[in-house]
Amino acid sequence: MTNNAVAAVADRYRQPMTLGNAVLDIHPIAMVAGITALIVVGLASAGWIVPLAVSALFVGIAYLAGRGPSYLVTILKLWIAVGLILFALRALLVKGETVLVPLGPIAITREGIENGLRFTTAVMVICGGVTLFFAIVSMRRLMLALERIGVSPRVSYVILASFQAITDLGATARVVLDAQKARGIETEGNVFVRARAFFPVLAPVFLTAMTATEERAIALDARAFNNPGRHTSLLNLKPLTAVDTVLVVLSLVVAAAAVTGGILGWF
Amino acid sequence: MASSRFATFMRGYGRLTIFMIPIGIAINFVGGQIALLLKLPVYLDSIGTILVGATCGGLPGALVGLISNGINSITSPPTFAFAILNVAFGLLAGYFGRIGVFRTWWKTLLSVLPFAFIGGFCGALITIWVFDGLAVGGGAIVVGALTAMGMDLNTANFAAQLPMDVLDKVPTVLIVYAIIKGIPKRLLVKLPLGRVYLGQPNPRAKKPVATTATQP
Repeated sequence: MTNNAVAAVADRYRQPMTLGNAVLDIHPIAMVAGITALIVVGLASAGWIVPLAVSALFVGIAYLAGRGPSYLVTILKLWIAVGLILFALRALLVKGETVLVPLGPIAITREGIENGLRFTTAVMVICGGVTLFFAIVSMRRLMLALERIGVSPRVSYVILASFQAITDLGATARVVLDAQKARGIETEGNVFVRARAFFPVLAPVFLTAMTATEERAIALDARAFNNPGRHTSLLNLKPLTAVDTVLVVLSLVVAAAAVTGGILGWF
Repeated sequence: MASSRFATFMRGYGRLTIFMIPIGIAINFVGGQIALLLKLPVYLDSIGTILVGATCGGLPGALVGLISNGINSITSPPTFAFAILNVAFGLLAGYFGRIGVFRTWWKTLLSVLPFAFIGGFCGALITIWVFDGLAVGGGAIVVGALTAMGMDLNTANFAAQLPMDVLDKVPTVLIVYAIIKGIPKRLLVKLPLGRVYLGQPNPRAKKPVATTATQP
């Protein structure tokens, strides 16, 4: 690499990290406030239309952030896997006066459907907000923002290392599963046969992971991880901008208005 | 401020505990994934919680449980309502580890009962309180079927969840037992509760625990 190229790379790390999208670049803390306010709006309403509208708004925000398609897939899966079951069970089992469809011992009632719609949309607005947040804000940026406001780097380490370890251990476990299959351990057949395969697959994977922690501890010690002073980081986060501040204030106002409105029965 | 407090708290557990927590979390997830892959009718998603609780102590175990459910709720937010169960598994495993339950296989097997009681009984209570008895997951269908057969909704929750949890915890504690048996001695000595498994009734271990209790 020429000197110029090196300087360019170094310069990139001196600049605050930007993801090239106005929504993605919102400070993680402001994002927490904004999404929480929207969830509060959804929950404060007594009906099911407002939470549904907020859920739709979340999809819109995801598209603005350029994460639309993947978010839509995740949230639709959640609606089918969680929402539909929650709704169907309530519609079928909640007792009511107005019977719409009698089905032997149980019946679909108007009350059941209303209760189901309300509860399902309320749960799904929380699901939508949480998944949206993690679709937009990467764990790295979130932890960096939290470290800046005084959360211990050890907490960041635990969270970030967990995600890494889940990926790594998952991959190793699959490799060991194949290896043990090749050595003749039955992974098909009845439940007991399959359950017995569980031990020779997982025990070595978990043991290796546990013994590797020792080396990891030494590696981090060598990088002064346990130094009580302020840690530096490779990436910089933009400080809170005016837009972020406005967003936080606006969120507080909207959330407070929604709670008041919900209590007074405006919507 | 907050950072130094967390640091002092973790120091009481020795250097390695902080590195064991992510591993415990990963074990929770991978256990669940492999159970799915082998098409086993159980979750097996609390192995890491109990393992870290049994080797490092109750609070690290509880932390593993809490963060595991937190990560799970990124993709499936209703799981967070059940985080308290995983926290309780960690705390209980820490206590059981301290009194040496995981040293013998039959005591380990007996520990299934309290674990399953927490998972099944308290799990059913949460389902009833938070989701009015109609939560999601494999159990919900069973609950629905039992109710349709004329069983009371609350009874149906207990009837469905208790046996399922016993079935889930038997392989869980057995693999925890097997792994603890396999941990090399040079690692065990560095773990907060390692002395239990090395057969040393060491009074020295009492000290760091007492200091952490008074610190916060």
